[in-house]
Amino acid sequence: MLITGIKSRPVYDRLAPMASGLRHLAIAQGSGGQPMLRLLADMTPAQRGVATVVYSSESFTGNSYEAELRAVDGIDLRLCASNVEALQVLDDLLSTAKMGTRLYLAGSEGFIGTAMQRATEYGLDRDEILREHAGSFVRRVWCAHCNAYTENVTQRIFRCPGCGLDLVVRDHYSSRLAAFQGVKADGEVPGELPEIEELDT
Amino acid sequence: MTTAHHGALQLKVERIEAVTPEINRYTLTASDGSWLPPFSGGSHVTVLIDTETGTRRNAYSLMSSPYDASQYQIAVRRVEDGKGGSVAMHGRVHEGDVVPVTIPANLFPLSKHARHHVFIAGGVGVTPIFAQLEELSMKNGSFEVHLAVRGPEHATLGRELRERYGDRVSVYGDEDATRLDIAAVLADRPLGTHVYVCGPARMIDDVIDQAHRQGWTDANIHFERFEDAGSTGEPFTVTLAKSGATIEVSPDQSLLEAVEESGFKLPYLCRGGACGECETEVLELDGTLDHRDDWLSERDRASNAIIMPCVSRASCTRLVINA
Repeated sequence: MLITGIKSRPVYDRLAPMASGLRHLAIAQGSGGQPMLRLLADMTPAQRGVATVVYSSESFTGNSYEAELRAVDGIDLRLCASNVEALQVLDDLLSTAKMGTRLYLAGSEGFIGTAMQRATEYGLDRDEILREHAGSFVRRVWCAHCNAYTENVTQRIFRCPGCGLDLVVRDHYSSRLAAFQGVKADGEVPGELPEIEELDT
Repeated sequence: MTTAHHGALQLKVERIEAVTPEINRYTLTASDGSWLPPFSGGSHVTVLIDTETGTRRNAYSLMSSPYDASQYQIAVRRVEDGKGGSVAMHGRVHEGDVVPVTIPANLFPLSKHARHHVFIAGGVGVTPIFAQLEELSMKNGSFEVHLAVRGPEHATLGRELRERYGDRVSVYGDEDATRLDIAAVLADRPLGTHVYVCGPARMIDDVIDQAHRQGWTDANIHFERFEDAGSTGEPFTVTLAKSGATIEVSPDQSLLEAVEESGFKLPYLCRGGACGECETEVLELDGTLDHRDDWLSERDRASNAIIMPCVSRASCTRLVINA
């Protein structure tokens, strides 16, 4: 039933300054601070001068690069306590951003995927964006039954906080929903659950 | 719906209007009175034009509404020093005539993800925009048009667009003799803006260059070259591997035209080096290829293993293609 080898999972990039851009917008979360610091170090002073950096210290693994980012000279840094707040800042920045802007995303898959949704809404194209995964591969799961999203899922079977059903997490990643799909785990025979296993997080 | 025979629809020339000193607009309907195949904004057809020196195949953008399947409209600019196709359209084709026309193909479609569409055109390059705007206004899309013309007598089509869409259309070079400033048009655009340009080669190159300077990526830059991409040049000889036929390509015809004139067929669509349909393998080459298309990558060009017969030529003592 479950697909092995997840072809639908995005292939992530390595962040590097995109020389054709006139302005740079970088947003990271948790462990994503590390590739962000590397990106900033690789930028020329002129590129850093037109860079805006948004960082959320919310992290599944507990890694924070806030202090290191504060120490980088000459950037416009916006610090946020949560991913939700960081994504709202991103949304505000995108709403007034001009053509010629390049977007850099780093962090968990759910965070990158959600940021990608915002970027797509504003018409940014894939060749204007680089994204680098950092930290664990915990999954963001969408419930096919109640439409609820659950962050940081690590087990194959979990109970949906939205509708209380036991869901099995399928190995299909939807870029549109920025989530893996969860479906009723005992849909065939009530009470008969598949084996509980750790996801390849 | 009317159907194609040997790849062409038989269309009746319902009406011919002179819209500028150089441009005629042709309204075409199915000769059997039925519906025409549907198309999307930006599509073109190829008209098989009977001239004194044989059949010319000229591509023209459709400018009628994509939501009207009863007619196609094209605009033809008379090019005196061209290959005779447009001159024959102006001189030999009359209302009531039936002309063979291929079914529409679209190499200049609207981006479905754009938040704002900016159209830049020169002269007769405005024609695909007519159909694109019909499509966009039905979908309530956000757009603006910047059209450059060579003087008031050439501004008729631009004025028609202004009547339909008002201030969203700017015509430069009409009575007020304003000039189109491409850099200013592209400056400080919101994310998700797409630009479409159709006009002389220099205008297209300027738009691409300015957009790149302002940090636009190619995904947001769309263009269609209506000029003959230059299938004239030194004569050369080509051998078709499958039949063994040896064909002379004269200075004023393309490789594709020479092959067709000899009674052979190659696949084609745009005849302007844009679509990739006629891509043909080069089996033997003694000399160099003169690539003039927008299709092949730098690596493909350097390989000397592929040619686009609709526009590209060769300077060689021997050329064998897999056709």
